[in-house]
Formats: sequence, structure tokens, C-alpha cells
Amino acid sequence: MRTASDGPEIEFRNVSKSFVLRDSRTLRDLAASLIARRPLGHEFFALQDVSFTVEHGECVGIIGRNGSGKSTALKLIAGVTAPTKGEVLVVGRVSPLIELGAGFHPDLTGRENVHLNASILGMTSKEIEEEFDAIVEFAELQEFIDTPVKRYSSGMYARLGFAVAVHSNPDLLLVDEVLSVGDAFFQTKSLAKMREFKDQGTTIVLVSHSPALVAEFCDRAIWIDHGHKLAEGRADDVVAEYLERIPHGSGVGV
Amino acid sequence: MARAYPLQRKPLRTSTNPIAVWLGLFDLWRRRDLLWHMTVRHLRGQYKQSVLGYAWAFVNPLSQMVIMSFVFSTILHVGSQNNEPYPLFLFVGLVPWLFFSSALASGTDAVTGAASLVTKVYFPREVLPTAAVFTKLVDLFFGFVILGMLMVYYGTLPAATVYWFPLLFAIHMIFVLGLVYPLCALNLYYHDVRFLVGVVLTLWFYLTPVLYPLDDRVPHRYQWIYDINPNAVLIDAYRRVILYGNDPDWKKVGLGAIIAVGTFLLGYYIFKRMEAGFADSI
Repeated sequence: MRTASDGPEIEFRNVSKSFVLRDSRTLRDLAASLIARRPLGHEFFALQDVSFTVEHGECVGIIGRNGSGKSTALKLIAGVTAPTKGEVLVVGRVSPLIELGAGFHPDLTGRENVHLNASILGMTSKEIEEEFDAIVEFAELQEFIDTPVKRYSSGMYARLGFAVAVHSNPDLLLVDEVLSVGDAFFQTKSLAKMREFKDQGTTIVLVSHSPALVAEFCDRAIWIDHGHKLAEGRADDVVAEYLERIPHGSGVGV
Repeated sequence: MARAYPLQRKPLRTSTNPIAVWLGLFDLWRRRDLLWHMTVRHLRGQYKQSVLGYAWAFVNPLSQMVIMSFVFSTILHVGSQNNEPYPLFLFVGLVPWLFFSSALASGTDAVTGAASLVTKVYFPREVLPTAAVFTKLVDLFFGFVILGMLMVYYGTLPAATVYWFPLLFAIHMIFVLGLVYPLCALNLYYHDVRFLVGVVLTLWFYLTPVLYPLDDRVPHRYQWIYDINPNAVLIDAYRRVILYGNDPDWKKVGLGAIIAVGTFLLGYYIFKRMEAGFADSI
């Protein structure tokens, strides 16, 4: 078991991320732009010169308005996109709870999708076998596990996705607004599961535009606005500052 | 807590060193469980919601064989290589060709079609096109079942040299993957690529000796077109080892293998160099 003294679990070193917004993507436009020597689109910075670290076992919330760059930060941590400038260092197995069930295939049964999704998250076949019953039980889908997931309700879909992700034995849990899915009962259960992770010392990064949840759940918070880090510190302090500056903040509560 | 993967993780390689990039192939081997699940996912999705289901894997090659035999043998009198029945001659070439063309077409769309995954979670992206190609192995298998039935019908057996087939097919597989990797990456940026693949496949089909034998009917000065076309080299070799009991023309197969491996190494390198931008381009 690693301890906090092993160094940061996540480190952002002067990270900038820009996208080129392209109006179209055909070879004709490429040829035209090569001949005219003009760029294919205009550059847009989602993050600019952002640095922070997350220590092992910490629970950190990232807050900000829609389009502030917080989801981009999460994608950089998840490793699906690379920084334009700077460096992102991540240690350990990351389990992203981003839009649950993204990897589900509608025609496959719940059982088959558990295997598929778990292996996408990096579990071996042996690990999946060991965790399978716990996953199904947590999702409360024992009766429907051999039904194609296209017959599932959106709540069932999300429950199964969440169940797989939390059983993937992650070192680092990335949570993006997922707690808004499912009924109140499942929300409570999910939060309880996340607390369990927190108590076990799993590093958690929570992205939310719900300041209340961040203040309640996280140790530390980072506030990102227009791609810049505005504040970083104790979750209570950062959330208080955030609420002060944006009095009509969107969505208080889970 | 057991950890299956090394702690230090750099998911998106941006190295330009070819050796470092090619070492990524070890990741593909490590994630073979995922490759398996992904292949099953493709396979299950392929014929679901269709009445005939997997029977389509029989219908397509069978109907093509019947019509092509009618047009090219009965009407145009193309004739086979060593007087074996034309449908048999045709089918030994057609089955691998159908594998090649369907693998290339579906592999090209593999990353574009998995947008929701690519933008959310990291795994070695080459799993997607590789699984798409592996899925087509099932169609290939059904094709060979039909070939077996055809041989029974004409009262022939595969020649003793058929043991060369796995080696020849391995070269074919490497060639397909080597083409699919860069094509599916480019298709993300320019959706024209998939249309281009469709056009090129049609032209390539006629320049590959599927309908006609690679014998002295091909003028000597055009022979080089077939020598640098691994599909032609391999289909000719399949016929030798399955139908005629000859060894493959090793000089030509050797050149084909060099082209296939070269395509693979270059294609994989291009894919890995473009990989970091996938999620931003979907």
C-alpha cells in the first residue's frame, strides 16, 4: 500500500489545453487551407497555465461554471486527451465515472456489458469473475442481468455503469456530475460508496457545479473559470468565495 | 490491494522514437482480455436485429460466387488455372479477398464509431481497429466452411501443402492491420477517407487475381503490378497450397511479407503518433 509520502497522485505542471475549432473537415478544405496557408480553424483555450497537485488519498473538488474548463481538466486526468503545453502526471489506475455506461453496447446483455466495461477500465478476466456478483448486487439488477441493456431504463443503465466503475479497484476515482442520475435511493447509496472509498484512502477528484456537494464531500477545492485557476484551498473556503462571486450559482444541492 | 498495472502511467505517448512507439504493441498484448471482449461486442452487434443473423455470413460469399461464376466462366469463358472447376478456383481467391475488403472497410470506421468511449476513458486505441479486423475472421471461417462443402461437391480434397496456409494468412493479417491503423486514424480527421477506401477497394479487386489466374495471360511487362500487391501474391499462393499442391513462390511471398511488415510498422507508427489527438477530433 502506498502512503501519502510517495508523492502526488496527480500533478498538473503549467498545463494549457487548446482546441482548434474547425468548421468543416473534408480533404477539400484541407487542400484549400494548405494552398492559402491559412489555419483550418481558430484556436480556443480550454485551460491556460493551470498547475496543481492532488496527493494520494485526498478528495479534491473542481468547481466552476459550465464551459469553465473543468471537464477538460478531468479528461486530461483520465488520459483521453493530451495537454497542448505543460505536463500532466498521473499515477495508478484511474476509473472515470464520466457519463456512466459510455461503453455499453445496447444489444449486449447486462452480463456481457459488465465484462466489456470492466475490461475497458483495465480489469483482467479473473478480477471481473471475482467482482461480478458484487457488481450485480450493487446495481440491484439480479433479475435483469441477462436482458439486453437497450431494454433498461436510464436509471438501471446508470446503476450498472456506476457499479462496474466502483468495483474496478481504482487508485483514483474521477466523478463528473454522475450523482444526478438515478433515484434518491441510489444517489444516497452512491454517495455512501464514495465515502467508503474516501475512508479507504482512494484519491477522488469530483467535478461539479454543485458547490454544496463539494463543500460537504471534499477536503480541498480548485476553482476554475475561463480556463484559469482562480482559487485553490480548503473546500469550505473556496466554495464560500465562489458563492460570493457568483451569487446566483447554478444548481445547489445534489 | 493487487495492482495489475505499473504505477507510473503515461497514457498518451507523444514519443517520436519509432522503437518507443512500437513497444506500444506490448500494451495490446497485455490488454488481450479487452481485445476479446471488444471483438465479441462487434460480432454481437453485427447481425443482431437481422432475421437471418449469422446466415448472412454465408449468403454474401455464396451469392457472389454464383453470379461471378456465371458471368466470368459461363459468359466470358475466363477459365481457371489448371482446369479445376471455375467456382472452386474463384472461391479460394474470393474468400480471402472478402475478408480483406470487409476488414479494411469496418476497421476504417472503428475509431469514429466508438466516439463515446474514446472521449471518456483511456485504453490502447489500437484495440478498436484490431477488434474490428478480428471480427471478420468469423466471416472468413464461414467462407472456408462453404469452400469445404464446394470441395466435397467437386470430389476434391485440399492439397497436402495446405499446411502453409496459416503462415500465408498471418502475412495477410499483418498487411490488413498495417493498412487499417492509419486509415481509421485519418478517418477521424477527414471523413472522406472511408469513401476513398470504398473506391480503392473496387479498383484493387480488379487488379487482384480473384476472377482470373495469375498465369501467362498477364503480360510480362505488367507483372510487377502483381508482385508489389500482397493481395495478389497471397491469393496466388493460397491457390498453390490449397488446390495445386505446390509450394508458394517464396521469392514473391518474401517480397509480399516485407511489404506487409513494412506497412504494419509504418501504419502502427502513424496511428500512435495521431492517437493523442483522437478525443479532440471526434
